[in-house]
Amino acid sequence: MRVWDVPVRLVHWLLALLIGFSWWSVHHHHTDWHIWSGCAVLTLLVFRILWGFVGSSTARFSSFVPGPRSLRNYWSGRWSGIGHNPLGALSVLALLGAVVIQVGLGLISQDEDGIYMGPLARLVSSDTSDRARDIHALWFNVILALIVLHLAAIIFYRLRGRKLTLAMITGRAAIGPGIEPMRSGRWWVALICFGTAIGITRWVIAGIPPFSP
Amino acid sequence: MRFVSYVAACALIAAGTCGGWKLGHANGVQGRIDKDSLSATAKSQTAGNSMLMLAVPLSRDQALAVMKARHDGMGSIGDAGKAIHRSLGPTPDLPALRANSQKLVLLSRAASRWFPAGTGPDVAKTRAKPEIWQNAEDFAAKLRNFQAAAQAFDSAARGNDVAAMNARFADLNGTCKACHDKYRAEEKH
Repeated sequence: MRVWDVPVRLVHWLLALLIGFSWWSVHHHHTDWHIWSGCAVLTLLVFRILWGFVGSSTARFSSFVPGPRSLRNYWSGRWSGIGHNPLGALSVLALLGAVVIQVGLGLISQDEDGIYMGPLARLVSSDTSDRARDIHALWFNVILALIVLHLAAIIFYRLRGRKLTLAMITGRAAIGPGIEPMRSGRWWVALICFGTAIGITRWVIAGIPPFSP
Repeated sequence: MRFVSYVAACALIAAGTCGGWKLGHANGVQGRIDKDSLSATAKSQTAGNSMLMLAVPLSRDQALAVMKARHDGMGSIGDAGKAIHRSLGPTPDLPALRANSQKLVLLSRAASRWFPAGTGPDVAKTRAKPEIWQNAEDFAAKLRNFQAAAQAFDSAARGNDVAAMNARFADLNGTCKACHDKYRAEEKH
């Protein structure tokens, strides 16, 4: 049965790819590519957040953001369902939040030589841009720690016989009897979300007029 | 799965390259500008074209003084570059731009005295790579390109053609990058 729709899978793998590329490009003197990669990540984030409200059932925040009770249930083995389990949902939210912060820092950063400026760097002082760049570099370690945790969890489940990666590739997984299947989102809603994400990204690249100096 | 392990590998490598917490100055040396170091600087100037070769090796104090001057000077060049980039915005601030372009020309000339032999990473903490002194001719050529580009930008800045200023600024940035990509070590965080 389907558990992950195409947009969720695409966002997941593109995000993994772009985070790797962003890291590589900035360490190989391609700061311009790094900035464009960050803008692409911004598009993915905006899309994913919108899709979290109007997408397929397993993509929606309302279906996976856990409360204390569902976390307790999961811990004592009384949770059943498809999509993010309550603990995994916390990891997803932490990763998304950390990447949102990272993109925000990058947008207001400037490089140490005055050659490159993030699209929103003019909204803050030069000193603030420099500080944002330093924190941006350090914050990557937070993202890294979350990625390591994410991979460790996948290995942990794999050792217990659950192939999570395959489901994120094919979108399919066996689901138990009596569990409500995924309700698919509509393709044209995804298209509208994507168009909106592109529009918002372009607005940010333009310096969020009319607030740009 | 292979891709995931690739990302994990990247992640681990990145974790390895990011050491402790250190913001701001990459160069921790406490140099003093004293009479000796000034005379060393004078010697390096008289060497003219072969500015990177010194007949008499620098003392440790002289080397540290040069490295301090270099670190502060490069910081000032960066600050001027950032200020210029910002004053070249949608509404150019020409007085600020001109003040900084003049500063940049003076600093670019001073840079000829910042790389005598014996001021590399073996002497004290610096991001200047040993390749600077291994490829002294290439380095000197790149430094001259930078100085010429700073001069060309300053000439453009004196006029009123903002498009020309942007073009010369892009050239200037290219000369910074050409040298830094090759001869400057990464900032440690």
